[in-house]
Amino acid sequence: MTHTLPDNSPPIESRSADPEGPRTRATKPVPQWRRGARPYLLALPALLLTVGILYPFGVGAFYSVLNYGAANPTPDFVGLDNFSSILGDQQFWTSVRVTMMFALLATGVETVLGVGIALLLNRASLVGRIFEKVLIMPLMIAPVIAGVIWSLMYNSQFGVLNYVLGLGNSVDWLSADNALWSVILVDIWIFTPFVAILVLAGLRSLPKEPFEASDVDGAGWWFRLRTLQLPMLWPYILVAVIFRFMDNLKIFDHVYVLTAGGPGLATRTLQIGAYEDSIINLDYSRGSAYMFVLWVIVFITARFLVSALGKAQRRAAGSEG
Amino acid sequence: MATTLMPGQKRFTPSAILADLTLLAWFVFSLFPIVWLVLLALKTDAEQTTTYFSFSPTLDNFGTVLSDRGEELTSVDFPTALLTSVLNCAGAVLVSLVVGIPAAYAAGRWRFRGSNDLMFTILSFRFAPELMVIVPLFVIYNQIGLFDTTVGMIWVLQLVTMPLVVWILRSYFQDLPEDLEHAALLDGYTRRRAFVMVALPLVRPGIAAATLLAFIFAWNNYIFPLVLSESEASTVTVAITKFLGGGGQAYYNLTAAAAVIAALPPLVLALTIQRYLVRGLSFGAVKS
Amino acid sequence: MATLDITGLSKRYGSTVGIDAVDLDIDDGEFFVLLGPSGAGKTTTLKSIAGLIEVDAGSVTIGGRDMSGVEPYERNVAMAFESYALYPQKSVLDNLASPLRSGRTGRYDDAEQRRRVDAVTGTLGISHLLDRLPKELSNGQRQRVALGRVLVRPADVYLLDEPLSHLDAKLRSAMRAELKQLGAVSQTTSVYVTHDYQEALALGDRVGVLRDGRIVQVGAPEQVWNAPADTFVAKAFGQPEITLLDAVVDDGRIHGADGAVDVAVPPGLAVTSGQRVRLGLRPRDVAVAGAGAPPDAAAVAGPDADPVAGPGAGRSAPGELRMRGRVGLVERLGRLVEVSVDVGGSTPVIVVTSAERAAGEGEPVELSVPNHQVHVFQAGASGEETPRIGSLAGATDEEDRA
Repeated sequence: MTHTLPDNSPPIESRSADPEGPRTRATKPVPQWRRGARPYLLALPALLLTVGILYPFGVGAFYSVLNYGAANPTPDFVGLDNFSSILGDQQFWTSVRVTMMFALLATGVETVLGVGIALLLNRASLVGRIFEKVLIMPLMIAPVIAGVIWSLMYNSQFGVLNYVLGLGNSVDWLSADNALWSVILVDIWIFTPFVAILVLAGLRSLPKEPFEASDVDGAGWWFRLRTLQLPMLWPYILVAVIFRFMDNLKIFDHVYVLTAGGPGLATRTLQIGAYEDSIINLDYSRGSAYMFVLWVIVFITARFLVSALGKAQRRAAGSEG
Repeated sequence: MATTLMPGQKRFTPSAILADLTLLAWFVFSLFPIVWLVLLALKTDAEQTTTYFSFSPTLDNFGTVLSDRGEELTSVDFPTALLTSVLNCAGAVLVSLVVGIPAAYAAGRWRFRGSNDLMFTILSFRFAPELMVIVPLFVIYNQIGLFDTTVGMIWVLQLVTMPLVVWILRSYFQDLPEDLEHAALLDGYTRRRAFVMVALPLVRPGIAAATLLAFIFAWNNYIFPLVLSESEASTVTVAITKFLGGGGQAYYNLTAAAAVIAALPPLVLALTIQRYLVRGLSFGAVKS
Repeated sequence: MATLDITGLSKRYGSTVGIDAVDLDIDDGEFFVLLGPSGAGKTTTLKSIAGLIEVDAGSVTIGGRDMSGVEPYERNVAMAFESYALYPQKSVLDNLASPLRSGRTGRYDDAEQRRRVDAVTGTLGISHLLDRLPKELSNGQRQRVALGRVLVRPADVYLLDEPLSHLDAKLRSAMRAELKQLGAVSQTTSVYVTHDYQEALALGDRVGVLRDGRIVQVGAPEQVWNAPADTFVAKAFGQPEITLLDAVVDDGRIHGADGAVDVAVPPGLAVTSGQRVRLGLRPRDVAVAGAGAPPDAAAVAGPDADPVAGPGAGRSAPGELRMRGRVGLVERLGRLVEVSVDVGGSTPVIVVTSAERAAGEGEPVELSVPNHQVHVFQAGASGEETPRIGSLAGATDEEDRA
């Protein structure tokens, strides 16, 4: 590229050579308020849709202070009666316990396994490269279908699981004692890949230099993981944890298909409880009160986790910068 | 990456073999149910509960669930459910795109008052307990005749599709240098034409990812059609569960065949957008 | 026909100032250069003129028409972006033809479009790239395409944001020489943004210096060079930077640099006794005289019969300032050398001189600077920029140079 301009380069005509001649276009000023309104106009349809969705939310919150249901179509205001009734109800507290157990255990195991799988896949071994392609398959299958698959596999009469594990007919995977563990296992089967691909993306975006330095230092893999990789991966892990924990708090699909909340109350999560009250028993107000409590739990959890994410991101940015 | 095999490094160290074996174990666990589902779908009625791995495979079950004979046997109208699912999901995604793209653009380009509130409200739909909305909608839909209709389903599926579309696309629009649209404005194009000519083509991967992911999640959704539809607008996810719940003889092989068919669209779509999947699944929070 | 008037233009980004009350009057056809370090508000100024950002206050008038609230596509302004802003999915040809196809820059049939594109690409030497995509070009090529997209169309104002910054040094000076002669540029009001003072001096009909969002000085290249408004402008022009020596006015004389400087206050220079000042010496204005002369031999070196010369002070001839010092560092720049001369005081005097005339490290030298090239600034804290008072040539200087 040593081209220089020829001395007598053909002049490029400016406006004087405009075929239309010098233009004196009438310019149309746009008033300030219209320029300011631009983003609002673009967002207006989404805003309307949001309001349309918030409306039933509001109605639901309203239901929770009524005694509304199919059996009582002309409801009265009952204040916090639904809530005090729920809070004094052993079933509700069982649901809270089941939901918390489910959310904490499933999220915890998925996170640990997901991070481990991501670290192993990041080694880029032949086995890893082949499996990476199919990693997300369980994640993309509808949880309901996963529930159907596993309910067939768990079947104590002819289920393949007992056969493969050589247990005969001896284990009833969905008994009152086992059911919660079994549904957690299904959740782990579906969602561990979610954590894994997020963390894997994080691993691959990490800067290489610190690790090369630690290689030179001869640091062990555990030391490297604990002091270098994990702190930088925290933001990615936390995004995964937020998604998983919040989803698990309102868990419904595969649990409902596998056990419908049973046996007894063994797997009756809060959203399954609300479903029973409001849709099966048609007690809208009681179901809404259930949901309102769950919503408060989700909201508080979200606030906490998102602020933790912000901190982790700032720290990781600092350690990378 | 430090853990990558370096040239000259031994490939078959004990720890490398242990790591591969661990991965192998996970993938046996991960893929076994899927393989087994496909095997079950290939079995005859006689073999469905009697054999595990040795049988004479047949594709008949797929034909059966997709024809009237499937409904005669199981009283589940699977073909109609498939069609309903396609309509619901396509409609829901279309609405989300039409409504969501301008909003994502506005939120990605300008910091206007309330933009964050709007964005986080839309995101909260993703995390809110579904029944909080469904219970009142169950009552409202029954009153205004939207119960068990495609329109009603498309509306409520916005809870699933809107947050995805808006958040994924906002992150793509934020990544797009503003100078490009500015150049188009100074070339003499209006804002709308600058958007269509410059911005839109450049976020096409984002639109594709958001569209397909929204479709997948709408397709996989269960609780909305479970509560808000009966038979007319019932979807594949609801239909699948009915295979098991019905009285009389259980057709596990037909259930499996239907499950394979229902699981196929999301899997195929996911594979086509694999490069953008992480960014989509994390709503733009993690960029790969 | 297309003058450009900017009045009180201000823009803040949150709590940081983009530009602050910028006023500029640019004549029709003038080539105006905005010079400033990064973050000074150069690009903000250009984008405000183009209407691409909402300003907080002030107005832009193009060709006598107030552009407040006028959409960018209605302003008939073309801009070359520092980021090139080439449409990644379009070929070079389509990028260049884009402004001709919008219908707002005039009406062009296909043949006329092609003719204009060919003229531009021929001039810029990118004819062979027409079918490429921007990602297949080098940065220098991209920059020329970006420039071409401006030149291909008529406009009331051309806005050029560092259009040469990514070219290699050789091409850059060639382009600099030719840019102004391009037919389109020479006829069109242009605002050219750069952080390179040589570009500013070589290209500008006038130069405006921006600092922290404010215009510090506007003037012809000779004006800003010869009479910089303050130490900031003085430092912005010239590489190496101007040397600033602390001095104090006392009893009709200016003393500084631990006695190395001792000259009479020239008539017409507005300083008072006891006032602290700074003397600015451009490295290339300083001549190395009497190199090798021992300091005590300097008593006979100058014709100046000043009886109160300090121990280190040279005898300043009527037309110049003389100083004695000892060579510190010598750095070869090629044919020239950069010499740092310790004249006493904390600040060494930087001199750029020809290699033949340079003394060796540690050798004593005598320096001389013509009086009109010794700039006198108000004193200030370290890092503080202070306005210029005048030069040692006194009143005659300002009259000559104005």
